[in-house]
Amino acid sequence: MKTTTDIAAIFDDFNVKDGASISFHHHLRNGDAVQNHVLDEARRRKLKNLRLYPSAVFPVHRVLKTLLEEGAVASLTTNYLNGPVAEYFAKEASGDILRMQSHGGRARAVIEGDNPIDIAFVAAPAVDAQKNASGLEGPAACGSLGYAMEDVKHAKHVVLVTDTLVDHLENPQIDGTDVDAVLVLDSIGDPKGITSGTLSLTRDPIGMKIARSAMRLLDALGVIKEGFSFQSGAGGVSLRVVDMLNEKMTRDRIHASFFSGGITGHHVKMLEAGLVETLYDVQCFDLEAIASLRRNASHIAISADRYANPNNPDRVIADLDCVILGATEIDLDFNVNVTTDSHNTIIGGSGGHSDTAEDAKLSLIVTPLIKGRIPVIKERVTTITTPGKTVDVLITERGIAINPARQGIIETAQKAGLHVDTIEGLMAIAHTLTGVPASTARKTHPIGFVESRRGERLDTLHAKE
Amino acid sequence: MARSYLFIPGDVPRMLQNMDVFDADALIVDFEDAIADTAKDEARDLTRAFLTKHGKNVPPLYIRINAVDTSAFATDVASLPTDVAGVVLPKTDLNALARFRATHEEMKKAPPKIIALIETPRALFDVLAIADDPLVVGLMLGGEDLTSAIGAERTAARTEIATARGLIVLAAAAAEIDAIDTPYPVVDDITGLMRDIDQSRAFGFDAKACIHPNHVDAINRAFVPSATAIDEAERIVAMHEKTKSMRFSLDGKMVDKPIITRAKALLKRAKQGADDA
Repeated sequence: MKTTTDIAAIFDDFNVKDGASISFHHHLRNGDAVQNHVLDEARRRKLKNLRLYPSAVFPVHRVLKTLLEEGAVASLTTNYLNGPVAEYFAKEASGDILRMQSHGGRARAVIEGDNPIDIAFVAAPAVDAQKNASGLEGPAACGSLGYAMEDVKHAKHVVLVTDTLVDHLENPQIDGTDVDAVLVLDSIGDPKGITSGTLSLTRDPIGMKIARSAMRLLDALGVIKEGFSFQSGAGGVSLRVVDMLNEKMTRDRIHASFFSGGITGHHVKMLEAGLVETLYDVQCFDLEAIASLRRNASHIAISADRYANPNNPDRVIADLDCVILGATEIDLDFNVNVTTDSHNTIIGGSGGHSDTAEDAKLSLIVTPLIKGRIPVIKERVTTITTPGKTVDVLITERGIAINPARQGIIETAQKAGLHVDTIEGLMAIAHTLTGVPASTARKTHPIGFVESRRGERLDTLHAKE
Repeated sequence: MARSYLFIPGDVPRMLQNMDVFDADALIVDFEDAIADTAKDEARDLTRAFLTKHGKNVPPLYIRINAVDTSAFATDVASLPTDVAGVVLPKTDLNALARFRATHEEMKKAPPKIIALIETPRALFDVLAIADDPLVVGLMLGGEDLTSAIGAERTAARTEIATARGLIVLAAAAAEIDAIDTPYPVVDDITGLMRDIDQSRAFGFDAKACIHPNHVDAINRAFVPSATAIDEAERIVAMHEKTKSMRFSLDGKMVDKPIITRAKALLKRAKQGADDA
């Protein structure tokens, strides 16, 4: 085991060569300097046939784009992708090299050897003398290191990359016994790109209407009861639902057992008000969440395996009562796309979308019916991220559509007087306002595929039209 | 009977397109204060085009036209869409009503129903006569213009408009038309909105206007009668239907025609609230 400031020494010591499988985590998000630093060294060495496993790719990851352009990357496996690398796949990619997984699917694949990792470069905001690591200290503090934990356990070699060495960490998230080396840099990331300030609740009247409809449905279905569990994304509408939940739970003295997933200050507020017993945090979205992870014992950082691995019987989301998710597109079979836009440009990826939709007892998709003058409901989504059989309800500002396979939900919602339509009916309403959009049939070459959380091929990704 | 009247700027396509999703009981498309002079034609054209194509399923819709003493007034009258519920007439007083009628006569057009916007000191001294005009179906307080006209500061307690609120509610009740309270002007202050709605209810307003869709839900909820009031109204109406009498005693209290009428109106409003819930 060694500690060094020299990336070249790491490459030499661990024999990082052509065909190497290299992983990264994305907790430093758009502030991450680690991936660029490592891939710069790969470039200097003119390595080829690299197999890369970043848990997500952000606009800051410019060196990856250069390596792709230079033909040095044999495959890229990730859960979320946007920025210049996404633009590369839209316009320039010629090979079929991209594999999009879910957070739970990636954890499963790392553990089961489907993502064989030679060396994991783990951005670690603070590392102690025993090579334990934590995301809670240092200038690049990011909170939970949930997406790195499986890589640390299962990669052949593990290198922590840090800018903060301390004598001792009280509650490390990564155990030094799994670590082979520590690479010390001046800075591992720009705090401005790592977390935001307080994430905003939507004030948009359309978003407010959707959030109110979601709450009325949750009320009608009896979801909000003592001991229930809940997850939402960090979008404005989802957070508005969290805020409305806060009001209702306070008023009616209801307590939740846990909230899971990406955690924000809005969730922390409810934890500290005694409204929710535990926060299971796989990723901190804002500074309040990081601060809470330091001070609240019942705010627990969990690994992606514990969060959503479909083959882990103790995964947190197996006990999830309800999840609220977004959609870029949804089709008549309730398949949801959050991976590409309707011109095949990659704009994101599953993250935990397909994991939670499948596991939660109730999965709600919240979205405006029309976005940027384009109807969200299509006959067939451009790309399947989350299979429709796992999606229960679509909530828009002009009505609720319930998966016909969920007759019980349909009957309860109708009895409660909610405005329930068919998904075909909602699409027709959208078309009266926008006209029928021209078909965007695929005519381009494949660039990769979307993988289900269990490793099956869900859909093919194509270059931009 | 509407509980909420939502103002929609006539020159914003996204707001027009979504006017029917905000759950307002009635809509007021604005051609006046919210629209710059240079955008008034655009507002008229957009609104007419939208209503022609999508107007069938929207709630009752009024147009706030420009005041009778403006150059835009005659164009508003000439180009008013035919299928609206009526107009909101700014700075209504007896002179304004006379000019409104005269302009329509000159153009050989049938005058539409009017919600009279009471926002000048003079109008308050004529408010009963305004309410009695057969074209007028509602009185709406324009609190901001009135506060400005009397040189007062806006206060949290709204004491500066208390007299106007009382007069408008009394005149509307006397003429058996709706009294609609002024919008609460601070969009993100929901606590202040709730306090303002409580004042509206306490004065006896039938409804409240609003300038932002996010105020509609609170207004709709507040203007739904309480369970106790609904129970009493149901028993009054049941007794009236059973006895066919306009005068009877219930729980030791005398019930006569106005009380029966009010009970029926209350039940209608309660049904609207239940349908929305």
